[in-house]
Amino acid sequence: MDWFRQFRFKVFGFWRNRDRDADMAEEMRAHLDRLIAANRNAGMSPENARSSALRQFGNVPSLQQRSRDEWRFRWLEEFRDDVRFAIRQMRRSPMFTAVAAITLALGIGANSAMFALADRTLMRPLPYPNADRLVMISERSATRPRMPVSPLTWQDWHDQNHSFDQLATISTGLGGGPMLSGPNVAAESVERQSVSATFFDVLAVRPVAGRTFLAADEGPRPTVVVISEGVWRMRFGGDPTLIGSSVRLNGEPFTVIGVVPNEVQFTRPASIWTLTPALPASFKDRGLRFFEVIGRLKPGVTLAAAGADLSTITRQIAEQFPDTSKPLGVTVEPLRTAIVGAELELTSAFLLGVVAFVLLMCCANVANLLLARSRVRARELAVRAAIGAGHARIVRQLLTESLVLAAFGGALGMLVGKLILDVAPTFIPAGILPPAVQLSFDSRVMTFCAVAAIGVGVLFGILPAWQAKGMSPVQAMMADSRSITSGAGIFRSVLASGQIATAVLLMCGAGLLLRTMVVLGNSDVGYRADGDSVVTMDFTVPATRFGGEKLLQYYNGVEREVRAISGVADVGWASSLPWGSTELGRWPFEIIGDAPIDPAARPRADYAIASPRYFDTVDLPIVAGRGFADSDTAQSTAVCIVNEAFANRYLQGRNPIGQRVSMQPRLLNAPAVREIIGVAKQVKGRPDEVEDLLQVYVPLSQVPFTDVFLVVRSATGQAGALVPAIRAAATRQDPNIPVRRARTLDEIARESTARYRFRAQMAATFAALALLLATVGVFGVVMYSVEQRSREFAMRIALGATTANVLALVLGSASRVIGAGAVIGLIGAAALSRSIAMFLFGVQPLDPLTFGSVVIGVAITAVIATAAPAIRAARVDPLETFRCD
Amino acid sequence: MSKIDLPQGTLDLLVLRVLSAGEMHGWGIAQRLSIISQEALQLQEGTLYPALYRMEARGWIQSEWASSENNRRAKYYRLTKVGKKQLEAQKESWDKLAAVVARVMQHE
Repeated sequence: MDWFRQFRFKVFGFWRNRDRDADMAEEMRAHLDRLIAANRNAGMSPENARSSALRQFGNVPSLQQRSRDEWRFRWLEEFRDDVRFAIRQMRRSPMFTAVAAITLALGIGANSAMFALADRTLMRPLPYPNADRLVMISERSATRPRMPVSPLTWQDWHDQNHSFDQLATISTGLGGGPMLSGPNVAAESVERQSVSATFFDVLAVRPVAGRTFLAADEGPRPTVVVISEGVWRMRFGGDPTLIGSSVRLNGEPFTVIGVVPNEVQFTRPASIWTLTPALPASFKDRGLRFFEVIGRLKPGVTLAAAGADLSTITRQIAEQFPDTSKPLGVTVEPLRTAIVGAELELTSAFLLGVVAFVLLMCCANVANLLLARSRVRARELAVRAAIGAGHARIVRQLLTESLVLAAFGGALGMLVGKLILDVAPTFIPAGILPPAVQLSFDSRVMTFCAVAAIGVGVLFGILPAWQAKGMSPVQAMMADSRSITSGAGIFRSVLASGQIATAVLLMCGAGLLLRTMVVLGNSDVGYRADGDSVVTMDFTVPATRFGGEKLLQYYNGVEREVRAISGVADVGWASSLPWGSTELGRWPFEIIGDAPIDPAARPRADYAIASPRYFDTVDLPIVAGRGFADSDTAQSTAVCIVNEAFANRYLQGRNPIGQRVSMQPRLLNAPAVREIIGVAKQVKGRPDEVEDLLQVYVPLSQVPFTDVFLVVRSATGQAGALVPAIRAAATRQDPNIPVRRARTLDEIARESTARYRFRAQMAATFAALALLLATVGVFGVVMYSVEQRSREFAMRIALGATTANVLALVLGSASRVIGAGAVIGLIGAAALSRSIAMFLFGVQPLDPLTFGSVVIGVAITAVIATAAPAIRAARVDPLETFRCD
Repeated sequence: MSKIDLPQGTLDLLVLRVLSAGEMHGWGIAQRLSIISQEALQLQEGTLYPALYRMEARGWIQSEWASSENNRRAKYYRLTKVGKKQLEAQKESWDKLAAVVARVMQHE
């Protein structure tokens, strides 16, 4: 294609400059040769002939440079002219410019925000040197792909591996939020992680001040602490003398040795780090797993090789100690994947895909606008062609106009993106993003905006440009402006169908997510208290402070103080809450009297400590037997309450009351065998659980435990208002015991469904935007075709067609466009819905209700979009129409 | 007769005029200019080339490689439609300018 060659020649001048240079050199050399030959013929010596010829010709390199400038700067000059012309055009039609620019700004803005998310979760490496070598290591069983690692296994990996520069651990469950106080600084709870001395070395974090941990700091009771820059500046005013001085954690003295940047964040927030106390040499229990292990691979070692290395070590140990160690697999994964998690990665990719579709819709709408305008501009372009502008030149001018428009839209889009990211923290629910992922509008997002703007400029500019290329000037000048752009009608119909298809696709996705949300919201939560009226707070009593009887006295003291607060209806304690908050987790159990089961194969149930008043406080009914009473004490019979799922599954056909269960969480000094005295109503462990949660409640008085939730019900309904009074009561009892995370039951429930709701809201927002864009698109196409065919309608009406006939005609052609789009969209949705199966709960990917509602929704929208043009067609006045011509 | 320098921009007009007689290569254009002007122009022949490329980039002339009269390869230039219009327009404005300059100079 000639125009394409020329186009490429101009646009990609550098591409052909070598050819041109060679051409030019050859041409000039030929000229010089002839001059030399002429001089020789005139009788000059060879040297004289040559130097004279060069004088006659001029300075060759400078001439060549001037020639190159001619063809290079020409392109720039023309570009500048085109840009100026484009800006004049935009000024001349401000409505068109505004609509197009706002459409693009929304599309690009939404995309830039989602790109910022995807960039942080999928693309950008973690903010540590050589982050590609950082991995997280967990043990893997047949049913659990990621299990914490036991300290002994870690020690073996650490001593025997050949794959890692360094390994480090984070102790889960040993962090807590201790009360940090310092010289002149009042006690306040801070997020802590308990780590090994190698932790900062693995991450290659350089301290801002002081130093990080050394092996020599480790021991049975390490007393050094590293703090984050944020805590250092906010709480201690950035005081450099803090390094080496003493602070208190829960009242115990610790020495601050260093300050590290705030970026040191993992799956859980942290602002201070202490060392995990060394385990006694006598400790031999490989079944106690509470280490998260991170490592820095040696250069060149692959994930698979490292995994095989560690597996070998684990297997050898299992052979050595068959009693305590089962052979388990090893999972080695990139640290970023481990932190971000598969679900968030997929969510980011999903949302980026959704907004990409929205951007395509925006492109289609702007292309539609441009095509509609090309009708107005056909004559102008024809005139330009007639006075000698080549096709390539016109195509380039139109593309430049599109790019200028896109640049304008892109600049606005950056503002929109910045705005979205600025307000993002308020609409992204807590817990969706790990603390390591912080969204910001940075240079990478800006680059993305620029690239997106250029991309969409070319994308929506190419159709009008291509159309202009096919037009002969004579045709354009002679013919009526109505007929010359007939090709545009087809383009625009295809675009509108594509828009409908995209809207249907996005609405199906959003519909499935919304249905999931509804299913989750309708589940029976079990407790009957109003979720807003119950507040919970996380108490963590340092194990060194007091245990046993003293601990119970402390709890009773707090309970008495809180009960005295006016507006408090009831107070209880529990180590597990509905929606999956659990301090002790799930442990194996067996029913006494049933056939004995191998310890490894025993079923597991949530071990929930509760005070007698807990059940009343959240209004959780005891459906059989009795609840705990003050008479259940350390001296009386060990008792427990099981939940409905437990009774139904493991005690079927028997009276649960009086049966005995054996259950022994590790490191917990309490009797294992307990008599069942009651059955409690089922509560949700997770909103999306597929199997009912098994729970065994034990009385706090028989299992005094240091980590429990205080649960308070308000008499007035709004429990959140009680929090300051409750805190004050706790401080009066003991100011050095950390009390954290005041949350109402409703908040906990919302948190547990937050990611489903977030996805559904985002998808629904974008789907609504897509539907709006598609409606505008369809309206534009139908209106345009009605205008195109106004003479045809006039003729029909003149010949006796009724209003109904004309309406049917318009609706018929519109329904073809819409129908085709809907079918394509449904096929696309059916093909793609499986990829979001992970986000669905209680809904099939091909849910007929969702798909059906979407089709009905689109049909209604389409009717609305078509109504105005159809009525207009029916009102065509034959007399008027023909008189115009 | 001493040689004169070409005023800025007039080279384009002269080249267009020479090419209006038919297609020609760079060397030929230089020869024609020299002959027609009776060697009165102070022209370094190489300066033709930037002018040729400029006019080609503007679409006034087109070029094509072909073999020349004595069987050498040469690049031939010819006027385009735009070039012909350009020649007319430039000739017209040149004529006007020349007339005005002459009138002003003769005015005492």
